[in-house]
Amino acid sequence: MKRMVCLAGLVAGWMVAGCGKPVEQAAPATPAAPRAAKATYTIGMSQCNLGEPWRVQMNADIKAAAEPHPELKVVFKDAQNDTLRQRAHVEEFVSAGVDLIIISPKEAQPLTEPVAKAYQSGIPVIVLDRAVLGDQYTCFIAADNRKIGKAAGEWIKQALGGKGKVVELKGLMTSTPGQDRHAGFLEGIAGSGIEVVFEADMKWLEPDARKEMESALARFDAIDLVYAHNDPGAHGAYLAAKAAGRDSSIRFVGIDALPQEGVAYVAQGILAASFQYPTGGQEAIATALQILKGEPVPKQIVLGSRLFTKASVAAGGEDLP
Amino acid sequence: MTDDRDTAAMGFAGRVFRWLGSPTGRACLALALVLLVGFVFHADGAFYKAGTHRDALRQTSVYGILAAGMTLVIVTGGIDLAVGSVLALVSVCFATLTIHWGWSAWAAVPLALLIGALCGGASGLAVASWRVQPFIATLAMMALARGLAKYASGGMKVSTAVQEVDGAYRYVAVPAVFRAIDTRILGDNVPVVTAIFAVCFGLAWLALARHRWGRQLYAIGGNEEAARLSGLPVVGAKFAAYVASGLFAAVAGICQAAQEQQGDPEAGAGYELLAIAMVVVGGTSLMGGRGGLGLTLIGILTIGYLEKILSINAVPEAGRLMLTGVIILAAVLTQKRGR
Repeated sequence: MKRMVCLAGLVAGWMVAGCGKPVEQAAPATPAAPRAAKATYTIGMSQCNLGEPWRVQMNADIKAAAEPHPELKVVFKDAQNDTLRQRAHVEEFVSAGVDLIIISPKEAQPLTEPVAKAYQSGIPVIVLDRAVLGDQYTCFIAADNRKIGKAAGEWIKQALGGKGKVVELKGLMTSTPGQDRHAGFLEGIAGSGIEVVFEADMKWLEPDARKEMESALARFDAIDLVYAHNDPGAHGAYLAAKAAGRDSSIRFVGIDALPQEGVAYVAQGILAASFQYPTGGQEAIATALQILKGEPVPKQIVLGSRLFTKASVAAGGEDLP
Repeated sequence: MTDDRDTAAMGFAGRVFRWLGSPTGRACLALALVLLVGFVFHADGAFYKAGTHRDALRQTSVYGILAAGMTLVIVTGGIDLAVGSVLALVSVCFATLTIHWGWSAWAAVPLALLIGALCGGASGLAVASWRVQPFIATLAMMALARGLAKYASGGMKVSTAVQEVDGAYRYVAVPAVFRAIDTRILGDNVPVVTAIFAVCFGLAWLALARHRWGRQLYAIGGNEEAARLSGLPVVGAKFAAYVASGLFAAVAGICQAAQEQQGDPEAGAGYELLAIAMVVVGGTSLMGGRGGLGLTLIGILTIGYLEKILSINAVPEAGRLMLTGVIILAAVLTQKRGR
């Protein structure tokens, strides 16, 4: 009986909280009013998951960028790929009264409202990498996967002299980065004699990429190049080709260019090229400092990419147009 | 009496039919069906190339090692959900020891095996001595080992790019032991990981089918209370089964690290389910007491070949998952009707 009452109370509470107020709270025009300068600022950073090295790198970049600024204190939270946990992060940051929130959301729809609420309560919000819906945030910072895929396609077209047989190892095709890196690549090679002879979904995973590449090698005697949607995928393909004794006749191209993955593989001569997918961690802190000083910032920042090849890796890569 | 006469009267066709009704026959039928799919959808002849089969066996070796250990546990009526995480923990530790610290294989391999055995031992202690349900005990170990793997690696892959104190990267050579494991022997025909799988499998088979301990495991799976009352060392035998499963997971972890040339804290996610599927498709009962490693071998080959055939035909992911689900269900349903 007691338990029933508790349950009823919980449900009632949830209903009140859930349905109580409509979303439109007459958004203030400039919620981030110029604030009085403080000695220290607390920044809350909610990361959607730390299972991917790229996101670990993003946190590391934020930490490194904040270090020279003793007035900044960054609190990191990891949502472990759980949307509701990430929503709770935002709410915790609001109730803790942080000065600024950086969020790299797991998905757009469910996090739009929590982010909007935080923004409306006067806390500036920087959205990193993945978007939320609408415009209830301060600044959105991201790279453009489609553009990077297109740059990879164009580079491959040039490297192969306009024709050749290519294997495409795709990232998880239910994810937007996978879709965009695929669509951009097709755009980049459009009109050339390049033929994609084998394509498979390796779900961003190196062991899967190796398996799929072994199948491609068994089927096709002539493969000129492998385009993988991430560097571990390209590395897995290389290992498969090496085991078959065919690594010297195939070139491997990947995306992400993390220092310990893609850049290392290029430096070691394993990959022909890797296209950087920047984390935006450094830009997020730079933007945060501007916001905290009361300076205006653009609503959206599109990050540039860098290309790492054997020739440019020692010099830290080259800027992509 | 009548049975003998019937068998004699049935002739060859009848005996074949009867064999197909046995667990082994049913498991073989599933494998034959999968291979038939390969012969029909051979992907421009790729299925007829020796290299395809060599690769199929190499790819399935890591799962096969896990499935061999898993069989020992499942025969007792238990389950080990931790093998995928233990694989990741061992691969991270093994990569750190050999790549970053430059240990020789003679020191790194025993330590890696010890880590796997300790994880298995912890699960075994909880299951056998503290009588925690195997599902829960190994679920806890699954989370714990994954956490340890992430902690030991700092969440990053342990690769040949070593970060110095100043943040710069130094590139080291791939350790000789990695190259030795990820190569082929016997005239370039047999991948070393497949040979390692064969050895692990042989050891597990000897233990389960020929050793007293194996009999004890069957007895425990059949009726634990009866086994206890007949004076069998139930606690010790069960504990040892989980230690063995942890050891096999460690071997798989070493193979995984060598094949990836790195230690990935995210490696092996979902491998435990594939290993369980291999055991069950073979025909070993999850209730315990029934089955064996011969059946598991057929299950390993069935699922391994199914994956390979779908891969060489470049079947999209959605189709692969659906087909795998249907095959597992079909295989298990035919097993069930046999009883």
